[in-house]
Amino acid sequence: MKKKYVYLICLLLIIGSVKAQFSAYNLMEYQYGKLPDNNEDSFSSIYDRFMLNYSLQKFKAGITLENFYSPIEDRNYTRLSQFKLQYKTKSFDIKAGHFYETIGRGLLLRSFEIPGAILEDLSYRSRHYFHKDIRGVSAKYRYKSFSLKVLYGNPLNYLFPPTFDDDLRRPDEVAAITTEYGFLNQTLGVSVMQLKNDSPETMYYNSLNLSGLLFSSVSYYAELAHNINKGNFLNLNDDGAYGFYLSLSSSFGNLGMSLELKEYNNFLIGSGINEPPALVKEHAYRLLNRSTHVLQPTNEKGYQLELFYSLSESSILTFNITRAENNFEQKYVFEEYFLEYSTGLADKHDLKLFIDYAKDPFKQEEKRITTGMNSQWMLTKTSGINLDYEYQNFKRFGSNVTNQLLSVGMTIKSKFSCNLILERSNDPFLLNDNESNRTWLGTNFNYKINSKHQIQLFAGNRRGGPACNSGICYEVLDFKGVELRISSRF
Amino acid sequence: MRIRKVFFITFLLLIAHGLYAQQISNFSYKDLNNSYQSFEELKGEKLTLIDFWASWCKPCKKAIKELNKISVDYQEKGVKVIGINCDGPRSVAKVKPLTKVLKIKYPILLDLDSELMKELNLSAFPSLIIVNDTGKILWIHEGFQSGDEVVIKNKIDKLLSL
Repeated sequence: MKKKYVYLICLLLIIGSVKAQFSAYNLMEYQYGKLPDNNEDSFSSIYDRFMLNYSLQKFKAGITLENFYSPIEDRNYTRLSQFKLQYKTKSFDIKAGHFYETIGRGLLLRSFEIPGAILEDLSYRSRHYFHKDIRGVSAKYRYKSFSLKVLYGNPLNYLFPPTFDDDLRRPDEVAAITTEYGFLNQTLGVSVMQLKNDSPETMYYNSLNLSGLLFSSVSYYAELAHNINKGNFLNLNDDGAYGFYLSLSSSFGNLGMSLELKEYNNFLIGSGINEPPALVKEHAYRLLNRSTHVLQPTNEKGYQLELFYSLSESSILTFNITRAENNFEQKYVFEEYFLEYSTGLADKHDLKLFIDYAKDPFKQEEKRITTGMNSQWMLTKTSGINLDYEYQNFKRFGSNVTNQLLSVGMTIKSKFSCNLILERSNDPFLLNDNESNRTWLGTNFNYKINSKHQIQLFAGNRRGGPACNSGICYEVLDFKGVELRISSRF
Repeated sequence: MRIRKVFFITFLLLIAHGLYAQQISNFSYKDLNNSYQSFEELKGEKLTLIDFWASWCKPCKKAIKELNKISVDYQEKGVKVIGINCDGPRSVAKVKPLTKVLKIKYPILLDLDSELMKELNLSAFPSLIIVNDTGKILWIHEGFQSGDEVVIKNKIDKLLSL
């Protein structure tokens, strides 16, 4: 018996030392604090996400363990939130467990993970990783320019934290088949998807996409997706359920251009398993990132045009126009015009200047003007000072609303950085009865111990609101307190 | 009891070995001209730098400027650079014109689902990994600030001298 174990161990060691690998990643975030407008006292909470992956040649396996603990019992959990098995060769890719998959440009189905984002909802106050995966199986086959993909599973509705049952968190059941064929620099794709959930009717969707190159310099992508239960494929009337997306992009010397068009009607699928392209610029500037327009797939059409012009090796001019039109008995038109000048100074400093004009009838924001600068001044070859300032003003119900942000910080390579962030607003939506304006003051420290371990510390007041990251928009809660994040790779 | 101990030690040894030997799989994604390209086709003779970036990420553009220089300066030394764009459906239409305007000299592949980034548990944009000719990961660098180009070049020189 003992000999058997010894043989097994030897075998494992040999296999292990030749090909097998483990890798692990851990993200831990400790908070002590509260929501500034909440009656609760400050309290401690800890969130942890541990991922362990194993790979042996073409085979991979992995698990994700999530924990959240706070003094409030019903917010706490320990969950094996993901497991995955994968077998991948040059032609085949077979996955079982939890996986991510997008059909076309996401008109029918999109899953995603926002790196490093921890989600907390005001209703449930339990914290969990921000991702939308699918639990099930998928198989892909590719031979030269032909590919075929089949999948079956239950996408996650991330609005519910892991303290809820899977029946609520994964209410939709999808089965899809999608195929692509490339010819003469073009690719034709066809997809069919079935959706089952609590509704009595099983829904069927299809999509057709064509992409490639025109005249060797213009790239295009066009997709038309449709709910088969709501009429024929070309029913683009108000009673139809469809999504149409088109993009054209090209460049001429120093000028680059992308133009995108959208029209979505009754096209929110299931609990929100799809994520059609929003065609709204995702800004890196904090005030603008927060002032985003959130796509309404039940009824929205519009376009986005972006132009880039390179003035020199280190100077770029970016211009963006966005228009989104929603018709919910009343017509709402969101419009945004953005101009940015980005340049390098003396081959070491960086300066960005921007101005943005928008009107957002959903938020009752008229004549919204946002402007500011973002700069980095290098003191030595590896250390510098950052100075950012953003100013926003708009009219709501006839009164002037102003938001301001000032950030001052220093960096030493990406080894160390610290920032002081001051925000101020007189937005009546954010103020209590006795306040005429509100100030948020917070400080961030970031220290990379080595390429495997990193520490981030926040202390102070942090302003919440909508945030867009990696193409996905979500709500961030205000926070007052101390937050320590440690990420480790093993 | 003894057998359990042996098992435990073996398990630790396996993990300890595996942790420092992460290997990149032979990924294959579409390039900006709609054709599939694989790691095997694009990799450098000695080292390959793989940069994960997105069009909306400010430090990514800073890193690209430096990687452009590295891709030219180290080409003769058997080093190649591959850019993996992770823009996703929302902004992928902007990638090709931006690539042209930024005059990126190395190949760019489109990973719409950030599949490779997730596989490597990378959590920041930009992220740079350096792999050898067999795909073994030698170094991971997350984020980019001015001054990091010196760190990256020193690392490449050190790895080439081994």
